[in-house]
Amino acid sequence: MNPQDKIPTSKVARATQFVKAGVKVGGNYIKHYSKKILDPSLSKEELHKDNATDVYETLSNLKGSALKVAQMMSMDKNLLPRAYTDKFAMAQYSAPPLSSPLVIKTFRQYFGKSPAEMFDKFELKAENAASIGQVHLAYKNGKKLAVKIQYPGVAESISSDLKMARPLAVQLLSLNDAEIDRYFKEVEERLLEESNYDLELKRSVEITEACAHIPHLFFPKYYPEFSSNRILTMDWIEGMHLKEFLETNPSQGIRNQIGQALWDFYDYQMHTLRKVHADPHPGNFLMTADGRLGVLDFGCIKVIPDDYYQNYFALMNPDTLNDEEKIQKIFWELDFLLKEDSPKEQALFADIFKQMIRLLGRPFDSHSFDFGASGYVDEIYQFLDFISKMPELKNGNSARGSQHGLYVNRTYFGLYTLLNDLKANIRTTKPDWVTPQHLKGELV
Amino acid sequence: MDNSNLTSMTKDKIKQAYIEHILDKGTQPESVYAFSKKLKIKEAAFYEEYTSFPQIESEIWKGFFLDTITTAQDEEVYGEYSVREKVLAFFYTWVEVLKQNRSFILKSYEGFQKPVYMKRNIQLTDFKVAFYDYINELVLEARETKEIEQRPLPQITQRYPDLFWGKTLFILDFWINDTSKAFEKTDTMIEKSVNTAFDLLGRSPLDSLFDLGKFLFHNRRI
Repeated sequence: MNPQDKIPTSKVARATQFVKAGVKVGGNYIKHYSKKILDPSLSKEELHKDNATDVYETLSNLKGSALKVAQMMSMDKNLLPRAYTDKFAMAQYSAPPLSSPLVIKTFRQYFGKSPAEMFDKFELKAENAASIGQVHLAYKNGKKLAVKIQYPGVAESISSDLKMARPLAVQLLSLNDAEIDRYFKEVEERLLEESNYDLELKRSVEITEACAHIPHLFFPKYYPEFSSNRILTMDWIEGMHLKEFLETNPSQGIRNQIGQALWDFYDYQMHTLRKVHADPHPGNFLMTADGRLGVLDFGCIKVIPDDYYQNYFALMNPDTLNDEEKIQKIFWELDFLLKEDSPKEQALFADIFKQMIRLLGRPFDSHSFDFGASGYVDEIYQFLDFISKMPELKNGNSARGSQHGLYVNRTYFGLYTLLNDLKANIRTTKPDWVTPQHLKGELV
Repeated sequence: MDNSNLTSMTKDKIKQAYIEHILDKGTQPESVYAFSKKLKIKEAAFYEEYTSFPQIESEIWKGFFLDTITTAQDEEVYGEYSVREKVLAFFYTWVEVLKQNRSFILKSYEGFQKPVYMKRNIQLTDFKVAFYDYINELVLEARETKEIEQRPLPQITQRYPDLFWGKTLFILDFWINDTSKAFEKTDTMIEKSVNTAFDLLGRSPLDSLFDLGKFLFHNRRI
């Protein structure tokens, strides 16, 4: 009867962990302010440090995906703000699912009808919860539908949640203030877009239609007549999540086929649409035994500005690395190098960024790439870990790198990680101008 | 038959005219005399229906409550709801009804003694009586479904309806001051506070603790 009975225990435990962190953080504030009464000169520095430690401890105590997030945080600071806000959203909303009366009320508010009047059958108990909403199962004209309902007040709380996350991010990630401002603005924009279901519907329809021609790829159909600002209705699509899929021991051929569909999907979005599904985490993909890939959730879309696109993919072309003049120009345009850098620093940073580009661009340097065999993704993580510990980068006072890179890089890391998990060997297709000369010679 | 129909017509007419007056002028009519004159009824006819202006307001608030109950119970699934869900459905429907009459309510609320959940306001008398009838029934139902635990001290259990009345006024106060879009924050408030109330009233670790204590106490004495 009671929706709370249905929360899996792991979720309850997870929520408890966050409550613990909350209590500790609250305690830190009390500690801080009582100390401050005695010593008014006390800065908030110590408080933030206390908070960060407690939250980090809590995240490390969590198992599964949350633990991975905690690990990833230390590996790449670019990944964190988003991962962090996800956890934040979860902490706040992982509590009880919406009650049936509130679900009905939300429908009445946006459609003037109850779900029972709109669908042939509607399950009032949610099937699963996402970070900002929950998904219900419904039937209409014999079709199985997924109805996503957003929690009330999510959109309003994004900005204040991020403000809360800010001091923690400063401490936890050792990001400097300039970087934080820049990244948080970008993260806030994406999150606000994600809470706008009208926009998500528009983009879902647009992208799924544009990508319909890609082989072995499928999408749910979206239903504008059953969707609104807070409610999104689409087909309920069947398939396995990555982990379950891998447990069925799919053949190399099937894994390659899915990997290829994934690469083609991103290749087409990056280079043709210039709008990219920037949330490639395993939960958003469903795989079938016959090697097809279903893509869900177009809430987080990064529109890639033209000048950023030109510069970023010019770097991905291995030929560019041999053209010192061009590469210097791009480094300046992408804010990798800054006016206040000394010549020595410039040389140091240019060298690091070249190493990074060589590493990230490796799949672009051949016709096909085996993401399974090489331990390539581990190498990336190790490198990111190495640079995040470099004092020159850590202690800088300025933001380095374009804010657009936040989501573009995240997308590529996510994509590479998925391909790595799939152990897929794929043709790494790319537009002609990103293809290095030596590949153009050999005709395959 | 005819006669009673006529009576309720006068009553409705007075009520409607009163609401309109409040909405247009923003204040109570100056006197019953002036108000009756404008309505073209005898002052005595007014007193046959109501004794004072606040009493009209009380009637109006009760009207909102009755509308709420009817609307909530019209929902197909209402019968299958747990008591917790029935209470939630009541509050969600209630704030919807209030929303349609927000201007009047804001004016009426100005005349209340505050804080509303501490003071007795005669404008809410009829609403309160009807609400207690309704909630008493739900509390009984909840006891049967074991959603509410029977506590050993009857004094506590008897206070449950008061608790829900307090919650109602608290929600009213919150809603009046809510500036969020579509009063979304009130929805969140209702969701969280009703769930908390039922979690507290339901069987909790404290009940088990009390039970254990009782057992130990008895067994030590034997």
